[in-house]
Amino acid sequence: MGEHGHHTILGFDRYAFNFWVLMIFTAIEVVAVALTFSMKGTVSMNTVVFILVSVGIVKGVGIAAIFMHLQGDEDSRVLTATALFPVFFIVVMVLFIGLTHPDAADTLPAWCRPGFYT
Amino acid sequence: MSYGGHDDHHHDHQHSHWGPHDWDHGHGGAPHNSWAPIMLAFGSSIFLLGFTKVFTQTWDSEASIWTYAIHSSQLGLLIAGLAIFTAGLTVFWRQDWSHSGSYEAKAVGTPFRTIDIRKVAVWMFLMSEMMVFSSLFSTYIRYRLGFDNCVELFESSIEPGSTVVLEAGQQCWLPASYFIAEGGYHQEYANAALGFMPDTLIPGAINTFALIISSYTIVLALKTAKDSSLSDAERSRKVGNYLSITLFLATLFLTFKLIEWFIGFNIGHPGDWYYFHAPSLSADHFTIHESAYTYCHHWDHHGGVDHKGACEPGMDAIFDIRMSASTFYVTTGTHGVHVFGGMVALAYMVLKAYRGGYTPQNAVSIEYFGLYWHFVDLVWVLVFPAFYLY
Repeated sequence: MGEHGHHTILGFDRYAFNFWVLMIFTAIEVVAVALTFSMKGTVSMNTVVFILVSVGIVKGVGIAAIFMHLQGDEDSRVLTATALFPVFFIVVMVLFIGLTHPDAADTLPAWCRPGFYT
Repeated sequence: MSYGGHDDHHHDHQHSHWGPHDWDHGHGGAPHNSWAPIMLAFGSSIFLLGFTKVFTQTWDSEASIWTYAIHSSQLGLLIAGLAIFTAGLTVFWRQDWSHSGSYEAKAVGTPFRTIDIRKVAVWMFLMSEMMVFSSLFSTYIRYRLGFDNCVELFESSIEPGSTVVLEAGQQCWLPASYFIAEGGYHQEYANAALGFMPDTLIPGAINTFALIISSYTIVLALKTAKDSSLSDAERSRKVGNYLSITLFLATLFLTFKLIEWFIGFNIGHPGDWYYFHAPSLSADHFTIHESAYTYCHHWDHHGGVDHKGACEPGMDAIFDIRMSASTFYVTTGTHGVHVFGGMVALAYMVLKAYRGGYTPQNAVSIEYFGLYWHFVDLVWVLVFPAFYLY
């Protein structure tokens, strides 16, 4: 927790504030999906994906920055760089291998390909 | 970073009340190297390799069933892996885990100079964990981007005037969310009371809130442990309580995971206005063996709530969902194993807390566990929407 014990956001203890943000955003996430599937056609799947990605980013940043202290501490910068280091490999795996070979999944060996039969 | 109360001048012989800690190893108090991480990694690799050799399954095409076998000749590999892993844990315990935390050695190498060495170690560990989960996620993303959704493909092919043509053997992906968020083919028989909520989503949704709350209780345990205004007895009781709540929530998480995978649940009985039926994923046939899952566009309702209704002719399709199920169970199972590992550590911490083991001088030990626990929460923040909702 370091030096953050008494810091506040909008008058709230920063940890309590983060906790309630996470709870509310999770509720938004679940309700959006529940509505989508229960009342088909009400919300498009693209909208749901947008909501899920946006909420996921907010929640992820909240946990990493405040709960894991990657923001505000003296050592936050170097530890953030440490935490982001694997992102390099993720980018390589997802972008440079996955997306530059759009047919890659189709050319997987048979034992690891899903099948469809009518 | 200063935590206050760390005594940098008395590090030569740190004796812990919590185990045979031997910090300096006769090297003048410098942080020591350790075989423990290598032993743990090697041991777990051998164990997992042995696991795949001992338990196998083969498809009996004549009987159309999967047959399982246990190869006792390969048990040695499993036992050797477990033994190396246990030895690694023992070394870990003797060297570090039992450290009382009242003295924090600093890292000496760039770029971590002056940062508490245990904190650096936890972040290094978390980096390797990120790579594990990145591999699982990139696998999932590759499949999701590489194949069409089976249901969407089928639905578009039967639309009047559709030009989409399906052929036997064509590949597609039936996501886990079809069974979880969409309720699978039993959807129309469920949710009498909670009509807005897809049934099998409930355990996952509760688990998401449970993990977030548990992240907060860990923070509260740390804040309380650092509170020097409390008496020792009160502090120990409160820290123990917060850690116990965290342990309870972790147990709840795995319990709901088991319900979601294998057990399912009912509220009321068929015909009751409040009847709620949430079958498990295995009861819904979302298993790693399901090479011929029957999807039905429109069920004949005469089958009733046991889902045995017949599908209208020409309105069904058979999907091979083994790869989708494997990806789901491996990813969520790996996350579950991490929750279980956290529970083991939490059980130890609860005992330590109630015995007065955490003080403002060594409260930072809770923070280091908290980093791991928040990471487990963070992974779930990604797993939940990716696998359960999308």
